[in-house]
Amino acid sequence: MTELHWLSAADAARAFRERSVSPVELVTHVLDRIAARDHDLNVFVRLDAEGAMDAARAAEREIAAGRSLGPLHGIPVGIKDIIDVRGLPTTCHSRILLDNVAETDAAAVARLRAAGAIILGKVATHEFALGGPSFDLPFPPARNPWNRDHHPGGSSSGSGAGVAAGFFPLALGSDTAGSIRNPAGACGVFGIKPTYDLVPRGGVFPLAFTLDHVGALTRTVADAAIALDVLAAGPRHAPIGDPEGPIRGLRIGIVRNFFETDMEAVPEVAAAVEHAAYLLAAEGAVVTSVALPNLRYLAAIGRTILQGEAWTVHAAWMRNRPQDYARSTRRRLLPGALLSASDYIDAQRRRREAIDAVERTFRDVDVLLTANALDPACRIDDDVSITRTYPRQARTPFNVTGHPAASIMAGLSPDGLPLAIQLVGRYYDERTLLRVAARYERATGAADRHPDIRTDA
Amino acid sequence: MDETIVEALARAAGLDTVWHDFRADLLAAASQVEDQRRVLNDAPAPAAEPWPAMSVPERDD
Repeated sequence: MTELHWLSAADAARAFRERSVSPVELVTHVLDRIAARDHDLNVFVRLDAEGAMDAARAAEREIAAGRSLGPLHGIPVGIKDIIDVRGLPTTCHSRILLDNVAETDAAAVARLRAAGAIILGKVATHEFALGGPSFDLPFPPARNPWNRDHHPGGSSSGSGAGVAAGFFPLALGSDTAGSIRNPAGACGVFGIKPTYDLVPRGGVFPLAFTLDHVGALTRTVADAAIALDVLAAGPRHAPIGDPEGPIRGLRIGIVRNFFETDMEAVPEVAAAVEHAAYLLAAEGAVVTSVALPNLRYLAAIGRTILQGEAWTVHAAWMRNRPQDYARSTRRRLLPGALLSASDYIDAQRRRREAIDAVERTFRDVDVLLTANALDPACRIDDDVSITRTYPRQARTPFNVTGHPAASIMAGLSPDGLPLAIQLVGRYYDERTLLRVAARYERATGAADRHPDIRTDA
Repeated sequence: MDETIVEALARAAGLDTVWHDFRADLLAAASQVEDQRRVLNDAPAPAAEPWPAMSVPERDD
């Protein structure tokens, strides 16, 4: 039998129904594992073990009585620490908000709870979902479970590391310039940023209002479908259910200009994307080459909008408490003070053109395939490499346009670090995106690869 | 961006403390802004579409 900490949410829910595992057993097991290993990985900023055990006992009673709250009943989850959880601090991993205790759950957390999820606690982020990884903050940065000397990606770093480490099968993250897909890729798990505003952002500390997305990190595509059906419930989201299905005849456009000419990916990343195209074609998809506007151009639009909007959030604190930010956060926020109004407005107009360009491409294809990060995760203490690789990614364009986009593991680098590809769907068509991802997952066994972290649990 | 311009912009934004204590960060920020402007150097015609988005609530009949 699969070890408890590697159970997917779907498998755990099935085991609960069959009475082969109970929520108390699962939560006890993952809490033991966290106690044994998190001192090496720094996933949790605030672990609520007592609250989680209370919720597990309640879930056990309910399930035993035949009352199920929903598909996540009894499933432990981690919440990025920019997202409010009632009664716990939302620190944003920052000195500035150390005592900021949330009075209510964020809308997304409320939806998880209503579906029966058990909140384990708050997990690490880059400061305000922007800086990092930083060693000059009140909490240490999360580490990569595949090699703790390496960056786990960010800013949803604890979400990615915790899912990969077997601390929880599902985490909430946010993605403003790639912050779900980056840690998902670096930690070898699945991460999806749904269509802009599909998952409500209430109770999530903003980074950039028109770029922020809330989404999920999981170990399996099927769990991501469950999470989206819970988080995105409403008239704009048709429930996905089981994402498995044939992809014969689906048209997949591979965006090579991003990683071949606009910026050059390392060979193993480019090879991973090409191999994915080969596998998907072997499954019956029709793969064609498409071109999007230059990646550097799209990234500059995204950065300008992000900096302008983030400045409106942080200007007062930066004037009065600049020393309380990490150095890397200050450097990423301060451009907002130097931009002009016309820089921002011009970027928004270019954004409309970028949206039109991607929409034109979607007339001819159903899903886009491209790179995620252009490099495997670098060492976490190597500032030069972090600064160099930070902009070398193909994620930001889909924050600019708001299309749903996902990262899925694509094997390991020669150094044993996860590689990933990115899949992008039409607006509100997460179902087709997940169908392609599920097919790729099945073809590669992506969901069955885990880091070898030894614990006593 | 010339350092005197960065200082003027910083002071106008109320960032005297940042200019005094974290000048290198402001200069690095200015360099980032310049890099972005270099990439976005062909400004669209001022009056041409697309215009920035704006929406009003649905009519409530």
